[in-house]
Amino acid sequence: MSYTITEICTGCGACVRICPAHAISGEKKQPHTIKAELCIDCGACGRVCPKGGIQNNIGHACAAVKRALWPKPQIDNKTCMSCSICIDACPAGCLALSGASGKDLHGHPYLTDEKKCIACGYCADECPVMAISMTAPQPEPAQAAAPAAV
Amino acid sequence: MGKGYMGKILTVDLDTATWTEEQVSDEIYEQYLAGQGLGAYILYNRIPAGADPLGPENLLGFMAGLLTGTGSLFSGRWTVVGKSPLTGGWGDANCGGQFAPAIKRSGYDGIFFKGISAKPVYLLIDHDKIELKDATGLWGKDAVETEEILMEEHGTDARVATIGPSGENLSLISGICNDRGRIAARSGLGAVMGSKKLKAVVLKGCMRIGTDNDYEIKRISQKCNRWVQFDLPKWPGFLNAYMGTGIGLLPTQMAIDGFLYKVLNRMWGTSSMNQMSVGMGDSPIKNWKGSNADWGIAKSKTVNSDVFTKCETVKYHCYSCPLGCGGICSISGKYSETHKPEYETVLALGGLIMNEDADSIFYLNEVLNRAGMDTISAGGTVAYAIECFEKGILTREDTGGLELTWGNTEAIVALIEKMVKREGIGDILADGSKAAAKKIGKGSIDYAIQAGGQEPAMHDGRGDPGFGLHYSVEPTPGRHTIGSQLYYEMFQLWKAVKGLPKIKPLYMKDEKYAVDEGKIQQAAACSKYMNIVNACGMCLFGVFLGIKRIPTFDWINAATGWDKSPNDYMDIGERIQTIKQAFNVKHGIDPREYKLSDRALGLPPLTEGANKGRSVPIDKLRHDYWAHFDWDPQTGKPTTTALKRLGIHS
Repeated sequence: MSYTITEICTGCGACVRICPAHAISGEKKQPHTIKAELCIDCGACGRVCPKGGIQNNIGHACAAVKRALWPKPQIDNKTCMSCSICIDACPAGCLALSGASGKDLHGHPYLTDEKKCIACGYCADECPVMAISMTAPQPEPAQAAAPAAV
Repeated sequence: MGKGYMGKILTVDLDTATWTEEQVSDEIYEQYLAGQGLGAYILYNRIPAGADPLGPENLLGFMAGLLTGTGSLFSGRWTVVGKSPLTGGWGDANCGGQFAPAIKRSGYDGIFFKGISAKPVYLLIDHDKIELKDATGLWGKDAVETEEILMEEHGTDARVATIGPSGENLSLISGICNDRGRIAARSGLGAVMGSKKLKAVVLKGCMRIGTDNDYEIKRISQKCNRWVQFDLPKWPGFLNAYMGTGIGLLPTQMAIDGFLYKVLNRMWGTSSMNQMSVGMGDSPIKNWKGSNADWGIAKSKTVNSDVFTKCETVKYHCYSCPLGCGGICSISGKYSETHKPEYETVLALGGLIMNEDADSIFYLNEVLNRAGMDTISAGGTVAYAIECFEKGILTREDTGGLELTWGNTEAIVALIEKMVKREGIGDILADGSKAAAKKIGKGSIDYAIQAGGQEPAMHDGRGDPGFGLHYSVEPTPGRHTIGSQLYYEMFQLWKAVKGLPKIKPLYMKDEKYAVDEGKIQQAAACSKYMNIVNACGMCLFGVFLGIKRIPTFDWINAATGWDKSPNDYMDIGERIQTIKQAFNVKHGIDPREYKLSDRALGLPPLTEGANKGRSVPIDKLRHDYWAHFDWDPQTGKPTTTALKRLGIHS
């Protein structure tokens, strides 16, 4: 099953720009479509669609999430075995292996460009030893401390 | 959910610049798995008998393993398959790095090429787009330069496999490179790629690779990783040399547990064996006519294991490898870095030609990797040339003024540079020692140590007759990555496969040279198991840890959802072995002609050193090995009964 685009689509192209699999196409300002055979179910289109026009692979409507709040991979180098499975799993190509660090000659993955990360979580999903967790940024302290609206 | 494999192959016709996608049935995967096995099935059925290996009818396949990308460990090797121009028969070679999963991420288990392009091209698969792009500007560039240019153009997440100038020049000992000079070196398949005017394959895909039971795969991987991460404190590398010498002197042998090799590999990589193997009698010296008595510790100390780790700036892990036996070394001179030279390279460019200069080995490693030339065959061919020079068959006039004597580093470097460029005598030598001996004549074939045209690797069958047997009987001869008595000990297959003989923990070395049913079962088990390993894209150094620590069969079952027993898988290994042998017979190969050169079989035996007086009882071993597979024991041709039983169309 792949993600699908509903008739709500206005053809803004946000999903086309973020889709790492080149699975989405359509004319500007016209409803777009997703090629099922190319879709990798990463959900990035659903997170960026301002109209809520994307349905996930089980038919649920996706809600847009502010990009600053998307979870990012946190890598535990002590558990990491430097196998680079996560780097290959990343459809956005935003992970790379570091050089040696002190006496540890085995490199470890790091996020090369936070803005490129699409929060799919496949790096964490494919890591056989669970060295990666997806963590959403914490709200700013000021916001967190703000009293609830009355 | 999925079955570990993608279920599709792509065939690119370079004559017409068109391509077709093809579904592969589940039944074929159940019979041949993927990787080398699927490649063997396709090539056996589709390359017409007698096809010119460098002609349009040959097929060149880039294959991904069944376990690659599934979350299993040690499963990052891709395999190139084709009819070998070096041996005239079945050809394959495999390589690590990051290229293997890229084949599956592009949506395929294999990408095949047929025909010949009118001009140099490279294949680009960029997600939904497939293109053959002009490579005229890349032709002549070395493998590292080519990769850098293509990654500059297509992004750092592009994965590139390319030939260097050796493949372009149709050198029959050329291979295909990826990840800055790692190389699928054997069988001369770089020349096949060059003949097709195919410079490179560039893959950019992100397809998901589904499995039946992700949870189970990860559970096994975590268990396996605990063995890999268990380290011992590092000891000085010179002790390895004394350990080897001690083993060489003993009349007894202890069964080797692959965990020990894992420890060594983790510390030094394969260079851990540089001096140890010499002392044990595992390394051929001086074109296989010398021994550790000629290249003892005093001489081999220049290639001590520590020499190769001192300049290591970072460990190198192939895809899905928790071990990291590779490394990137900082060097001085023309090139600033190189992959850490492997044991095979060090000995082929060291002890085999009596070269004690480690700097030259680092340099030549990079030269050959960039050119895309096999370091094993290059070293073996230089050894042949030096012996020809020693015997007066080649003169300074022939060599372009080079004083081609044992250990003359300057002349050796110059000769290899000539081979890479196909200049002067290098033009003759660039096709390997057997082809050179045919041109040079004068009885020089006696000094060309080869099996079916391919130079054997740096493991001496006189020290372990299993190597001598596998060099001589495998459908792709001269290969050290399939079997030996040592490998059988490390695979520990008897712990999973019913009916296989268990190895005694301690035995007399003389027992290794006796031919009995157990030895044949062991050899056949190695061949069958390695077919499974290669069909899965797994790494030999991983499976050396033993079947209980690296449970290949359990991983396959978890990935595919099958419920096959270890013996069922060994039957698949037998099918792959037989179809490769049938491929050779179909193409007119007489399997008897793949026998390793007499000298390397101890005929006559050495008179000193660790292998003094040892010979490989090759005729009896080979006869019984062929009989075990239900092939004609006299000719090595698969019988009709065997083909029928295994479902192979004759």
